Amino acid sequence: MNDAAGAQGARIAGVDPITVEVIGSALSSITEEMGEALIRASYSTNIKERRDCSTALFDIHGNTLCQAEHIPMHLGSFIGLIPHILKRHPMEQMRPGDVFCGNDAYEGGGTHLPDIVLAEPIFVDGSIIAWAVNLAHHADFADRGHAHIYQEGLRIPPIRLYRAGELQRDVQELILLNCQVPRERLSDLRAQMAANRLGVQRMQALCAKYGREIVLDASAALQDYAERKMRAGIAAMPDGTYCFADVYDCPEIDGELAVSCEITIRGDEMHLHFDAPRQVRAGLNMTYTALLSTVYYTVKTLVDPTVLPNAGLARPLHVTAPEGSAVNCVHPAAVNGRLSLCQRVVDLIHGALAAAVPERVIAACNGACFSITFAGHQPRDNAIWVYLETIGGGSGARATKDGLDGVHVHMTNTSNLPVEALEIEYPLTLLRYELVDGSGGPGKQRGGMGLRRIYRAEADCRVRVDGSRLLSPPWGLFGGLPGGKSSVVLNGGAVPFDHGSGALRPGEIIEVVTGGSGGYGPPEQRDRNAVGSDLAEGRLDATTARGAYGF
Amino acid sequence: MAWRVGVDSGGTFTDVCLFDEDSGRVEVWKVASTPDDPSRGITQSVAEGAEHVGASVGAISYFGHGTTVATNALIQHRGVKTGLITTEGFRDLLEIGRQKRPDLYDLQADKPPVLVSRDLRLEVPERMRHDGTIETPLHKVAFWAAVRELRDAGVQAVAVCFLYGFIRTEHEETARRILAEEFPEAFACVSHQVAPEFREFERMSTTVVNAYLGPVMQAYIRRLGDRLAELGVSVTPHMTQSNGGVIGFEQATRLPVRTVLSGPSTGVVGAQEVGRLAGFSDLITFDMGGTSTDVALLQDGQCRLASEAVVHGYPIKAPMLDIHTVGAGGGSIAFVDSGGLLKVGPRSAGAAPGPVCYAHGHAEPTVTDANVVLQTLNPTHLLGGRMAIRQDLARAAIEQLAASLSMDAMATAQGIISVVTANMARAIRVVSVQRGHDPRDYTLVAFGGAGPLHAARLAKELEIRRILVPRNPGILCAMGLLLTDLRADFAATRLHTLSTEALPDVADAFSTLRAQAEAWFGAEGIAPAARRTTRTVDMRYAGQNYELPVPLPEGEIGPATVDALAEGFAAAHQRMYGFVADGDPVQLVTFRIEAAGVVPKASFQAHPDVGPDASGAIAARRDVWLPEVAGFVSCPVYDRDKLQSGNRIAGPAIIEQMDATTVVLPDMVARVEPYLNLILEVA
Repeated sequence: MNDAAGAQGARIAGVDPITVEVIGSALSSITEEMGEALIRASYSTNIKERRDCSTALFDIHGNTLCQAEHIPMHLGSFIGLIPHILKRHPMEQMRPGDVFCGNDAYEGGGTHLPDIVLAEPIFVDGSIIAWAVNLAHHADFADRGHAHIYQEGLRIPPIRLYRAGELQRDVQELILLNCQVPRERLSDLRAQMAANRLGVQRMQALCAKYGREIVLDASAALQDYAERKMRAGIAAMPDGTYCFADVYDCPEIDGELAVSCEITIRGDEMHLHFDAPRQVRAGLNMTYTALLSTVYYTVKTLVDPTVLPNAGLARPLHVTAPEGSAVNCVHPAAVNGRLSLCQRVVDLIHGALAAAVPERVIAACNGACFSITFAGHQPRDNAIWVYLETIGGGSGARATKDGLDGVHVHMTNTSNLPVEALEIEYPLTLLRYELVDGSGGPGKQRGGMGLRRIYRAEADCRVRVDGSRLLSPPWGLFGGLPGGKSSVVLNGGAVPFDHGSGALRPGEIIEVVTGGSGGYGPPEQRDRNAVGSDLAEGRLDATTARGAYGF
Repeated sequence: MAWRVGVDSGGTFTDVCLFDEDSGRVEVWKVASTPDDPSRGITQSVAEGAEHVGASVGAISYFGHGTTVATNALIQHRGVKTGLITTEGFRDLLEIGRQKRPDLYDLQADKPPVLVSRDLRLEVPERMRHDGTIETPLHKVAFWAAVRELRDAGVQAVAVCFLYGFIRTEHEETARRILAEEFPEAFACVSHQVAPEFREFERMSTTVVNAYLGPVMQAYIRRLGDRLAELGVSVTPHMTQSNGGVIGFEQATRLPVRTVLSGPSTGVVGAQEVGRLAGFSDLITFDMGGTSTDVALLQDGQCRLASEAVVHGYPIKAPMLDIHTVGAGGGSIAFVDSGGLLKVGPRSAGAAPGPVCYAHGHAEPTVTDANVVLQTLNPTHLLGGRMAIRQDLARAAIEQLAASLSMDAMATAQGIISVVTANMARAIRVVSVQRGHDPRDYTLVAFGGAGPLHAARLAKELEIRRILVPRNPGILCAMGLLLTDLRADFAATRLHTLSTEALPDVADAFSTLRAQAEAWFGAEGIAPAARRTTRTVDMRYAGQNYELPVPLPEGEIGPATVDALAEGFAAAHQRMYGFVADGDPVQLVTFRIEAAGVVPKASFQAHPDVGPDASGAIAARRDVWLPEVAGFVSCPVYDRDKLQSGNRIAGPAIIEQMDATTVVLPDMVARVEPYLNLILEVA
């Protein structure tokens, strides 16, 4: 997704529009099929049920050809990887069956260490035509600290895990020894191999059918098409400079960070500049590729959600932020919890563009990807277990519709883990899982509701919670009121946590409440029937109905 | 004489197909549907059909039925007011689902409406653990109170879903008993009887959909059963399930959730058989009726079977064919939207009042009216002359629409066809292009009352080169009911590690399933020689959550079984994922028996080639408006019943028959193949 690659994409493609469309759909179904293989073959709950993984195809220059509809955040890890591989490994030395593995935020193009990427060059007629790439969030590297990246897990630059189809056992052993749950890691790495293998086969079959030149030309045409649609969409927005400011908090730090953005729309291009304090000794920092993937996601949703998710959509966008700041961090900043700050960046863009496209933006969402990580020893065999889950919350109210209740928003979209899968695998009991009454910000359109999840530990474990909007509530728009804040409550005799970290003994209880989201428009303009039914369904109480809505 | 009868009831027409087991004779009949009570149209069709072939209703030896009652109730949210009772702390699960948003990038997308409102989702103290131990016994008094609360709130159906209800069933069984005592008039269902599998949200969703549709299906089936009995039909009526298999009416009443794709799957089975006869195995089925259109893709003659799917937004755990439905058909209403664009559907004029040309008082033009104005459809009569229509009314309605678009009436009529064709093309892309299949490699099988009328334009849009129009396209679904074996699936989930120690349980599981299958064979009256069973075991590595089906050949369960399963699984895993995790324990998860009763099927005779000359079948000439010349062109109108094997017809031409009209475009040639199916190809 860089300018050098733009020249390639701009090549005029002499392929008929139906073939371009068929090949474009084939690319998306290849990435979807890769994702299904990864999920079905994997062992870890984070992949097989929560689907915290992504798959994509890239061209030889590192341009995204297609990303499956999984987790927008993961694009940030993909777009950095190919250039880093090419920097270290000459293309002419690559062989069919080579598989590169990497995760590092500074030497591997990654956005945080648990996201291990496997990339395999796709050979057709003896030369590389594209890359099959996938990422799995390996829920490991737990309970290690986040002062700097060296605490956060094993840093893997792009190296060969397979050489001409042969597993490099010493490399794999080095990786596995640094992991707390090696059996899961091994099986998830195998599942990642299965996904890329499928991608390689399907792309080769596609080239056999249409001819490699046609496939490559169609791929280029698809990027041009995405660019045209983005430019047309941006051109239709009013020119101007739009600013917004907000604050960011998380359990790791005391107080709040001031964050802001300035967006300039001129013709068919958009410049986005972000500002934040210097990077901190905590895992909240964002790398530049994390910032890029956040901007690409947000602008696509606001300009035209149907634009194909390929590199063409990035061409009209220019993204800047001070180097060394929390939104564009440099070595050795810790980055594990970058996702919640990314969510705040999305809200910033919405806040700024509310003046330009009020009918398309939404009020502030729950503002986090609230996560809770448990780690301990299994009572049955003393093996280490690590369990990570992320909890959705309210999605912002829209111009003509209420916000969505209890969903993952913006940069993430992982599933919850069924209770019946969770309790079989880990010494935890889920006591409640519900929408939080009253958490949707009042408005003409009501904000979405947050979620409450209450866990009881059945064995000793270390616990870490991470998220945001514990101090400031998600804001409303155009007279809409803020939604509920998030919180963490300990019960059953548990000792209070320090900066989000602590321990639970058997029988102790932790309750996580995630934020709701802001309302849109003045609450007194809300349809009376909607207020009545919210009241009947217990989504709000009589006091709020009277106070905020005058009901 | 023994007649096997298939009846397919759609939103607009009810079709009946009759097959004489002794002589092999096949006859078809069609009547208008009666959407307020479809059973009326069905019994009428059976009575008329039997009279038509000169048979007595008592001679009917088999009655098969495909219906869209369940799916329509789900699409239109016309199920009953339903309550849900669940484990304390989890009433919002139905709404939260898997916490994913409905669309990754579209911020305006919404989740489908929750089928049970929050105030009718009640919690009771009760908690099972994953190993089947009880942490909190079911609070019976609280459950009683919840049942009364729902009764007082006026619900007609109650779903019960407790955590781990499928592992240890006693809490749900107690719940069922209390419901039967306290609220017997409600339709009640408990999760372990509907979908006895883990993942509580999907199980809950399936149970709720089942409850929501239960009273609708119950009332429908009861009415239909009664009417058929009154008519003199003495055999147990059967119904198609979403997987293309067939079950008795009684079972369909208990598990309506398994019939949500009943109607559409019947058409896929019919198309599959017709395609096989004609020698084509890569097919895209295009079943366009009056109200909706179903499309599916068959590769090597098989339609993909899913064990779980999201139907109209709701996850359902039940085996079903991969069919995509769009709410547009011949009765779809054309209108100008707020942005000034011409739109068609999803509102439909249905059978009553029907299109404007039916002259039953409907005023907004439909797709059928456009065809009547263009004269692709007969301008005076439909249903082979049985039904008079009014072209003047249709034209007046189209002219009014044309005025609001500032367009010419004929261009507007053709515009309606273009818009509906684009909608259909998009539906076909979902099952082909989006799954990685190029539609140009497939044969389009066009059926349903409106399929053959629109197939040629649709094929052009998708660059499909070959269209197959079955001999009786309008009643292919009804015929499909007589072309398929009876089929039932039996399954039991029991988690085991693959080893010799598991063998007694494996043998036990299969003998239980075998007994169920035998009981079913007995109940269906299937002779021992006609019984077929196949066994499979769903297997995975310990740690995975998705299984691969491994066939288990017939034979005693013994030590050799372990090796056979281990090898079968390793091969399947290698094929699917490209690796084998040697040394990792392998789990047996679900045991399955598929039982098939081979029944006498309608068979078709090949007819000798009489040569290309089709002039003997020309019934008339008619002016048909073609956009290619922007005017009327005189076209021959052929009588389908007079066309013979080997005949060739160059377009433009119209081919009429009682149940459908086929349009052959100017650059196409239609030929009649030996089984009297029409093959349209680009000249």
